[in-house]
Order: sequence, then structure tokens, then C-alpha cells
Amino acid sequence: MPRTDPAPTDRLVAVSPDDGSLIGLANPAVAALLSWLVPGLGQIYQGRRLKGLLFMGTLVTTFVFGLWLGGGRVVYASWQPGEKRWAFLCQAGIGTAAIPAIVQSWRLVGPAKEPLFASPFMAPPLFRGQPVSPAYAARLAAIDPDIDADDFRPTPPWQQFRPFPPPGMLDRRPADQLSIWHRRLGRFFEIGTLYTMLAGMLNILVVYDAWSGPMRAATESAGERRR
Amino acid sequence: MIALPAAVTIAALIDHVPGLAFGVPLVLTAAIVFAATHHEDPAAIRAATLEWIGWLGGILGAVLVAVAALGWLA
Repeated sequence: MPRTDPAPTDRLVAVSPDDGSLIGLANPAVAALLSWLVPGLGQIYQGRRLKGLLFMGTLVTTFVFGLWLGGGRVVYASWQPGEKRWAFLCQAGIGTAAIPAIVQSWRLVGPAKEPLFASPFMAPPLFRGQPVSPAYAARLAAIDPDIDADDFRPTPPWQQFRPFPPPGMLDRRPADQLSIWHRRLGRFFEIGTLYTMLAGMLNILVVYDAWSGPMRAATESAGERRR
Repeated sequence: MIALPAAVTIAALIDHVPGLAFGVPLVLTAAIVFAATHHEDPAAIRAATLEWIGWLGGILGAVLVAVAALGWLA
């Protein structure tokens, strides 16, 4: 159904730096939010489909490729002492794709002591002595080749991951899951982190583009071409 | 002939890719996004992408050469 009474925000426009034509920004706040949630979605909402699809294809591919390179372990949110995941601040720029990491972190350190569906997907690494639910402990022992049931000590109602050894004893196993990931993935942990960080940071530019149009100012010659 | 799952094959191949090669898609991605956030016309985006690839590749290449030279001199 055609719109006969456009909202005031629909009249917001930007000027193309290339030919001086006007670019409808629709509702810039909504467009920016959409572009944060899914790269390029805000541009598609504004009718700039080609750019939207270009952003979507480029950034989603980069993020997913980085996540795959890092064995699905490189995107997680952790603010525990000893492991503050600053990289996640950049990764969060990708929007929806990074939201599961926040949920998993909140679930693992919260009262549930286990990620959603006891799935390790985007869950932060466990640290020595960290309590988890029996269901998550069993799941990790079943699917992670570097972790077995002996790695958990029952401390009802929780299971404690690789508790500190008694005085005088030495535990030669890695003290935390992050060390296991680094040892298993090698350089791909850092490369995957870099890919996902870059995708998130570049999406901030995409959000800005949805908010206010192209960053490059229109030149006088572009205005002349339009006239 | 044994048909390996595609994922296993790709994972085995990617182990042999030199680390520097992983920078190429990143430069390409950054160049495309920089260009597309500065222009609206597809032709202008294409031209600016090539320009950004030149700048980013040049700067990173210069840093690489400098680091390699320092390593060689050390």
C-alpha cells in the first residue's frame, strides 16, 4: 500500500559524493540499529540494496570464516579475573552474531553455571577451580578430547573444573580451557580472533553509513553534475 | 578413491597456507568497506576499492619490509 503521509524522518537525505544525487536515509536510527544487528540490513531498509548486500556478504563472510578458523572458540565474552576478553569489544560490533557470546557468558558465571543448552558454542573458557553444572561437565567430557570426567571434582551441587592440587602435588595439565584451545588451534586462534575483530570494527563504519550516508563529502563538481 | 569430507580437506589444506596469506582477505575486506562507506555509485566504489587496496597493501608491505630488515640486521 503506498504511503501518502511520510513521517518527518523519511525526508532525511544525504548527498552522494559521486554525482550529487540525494540518498534517502529513511529513519536513520532504525537503519543504524538494523545495520548493527545484521551488517548491511540498514542500507537495504533504506533502499540502498547493492551496498547493503555488499556489506552483508563481505562482513558476514569475514566473521564466519574467522569463527571457523578459530574452531568456533574465538568469540566469547569473559570478564573474569585473569581473562578479560578485550577482543570481544571489537567483535561485538558485528551485532546479532556476537550476542550468543554475551548470553553464554552470563549463563556460565550466573546461577545456572552452564551455558544455554549446556552447549560450549561461544561459551567462555573454564578456569581452574571454576564450578559448573553436572550437565555441562558431562557434555564437555563427552565432546572435548582434552577433557574427561576426571577433570571435574564433585562439589555438590556443582562440579569443579581441574581443582587446585593438594599442597606438594604438581598438576602438569593445562590449568584452564583457554590454554587447551591455544595448544590445539595454534596460530589459528589469533588469526580467527583477528578476522572476527576486524569484521566487528568495520561494521561500525557500516552503521555510521546507515546513520548519515557516505562519509566522503559531496564536492562542488558532484553538485554541478547533478544540476 | 576415498572421498574425504570437504571440511576435512579444507582444514588439511589451510594448515599449509603461509600466515601472511591470511592478511590478503582482510585487506580486501577493509578496502571494500572503506570504499563503500565513502561512495554511493558502484563504479566509484570499485575504483576506490582498488585505491584502498593499494594504500593498505603499500603501508602493510612497507611495515613488513621494515620488520624483515630489522630482523635481518639484528
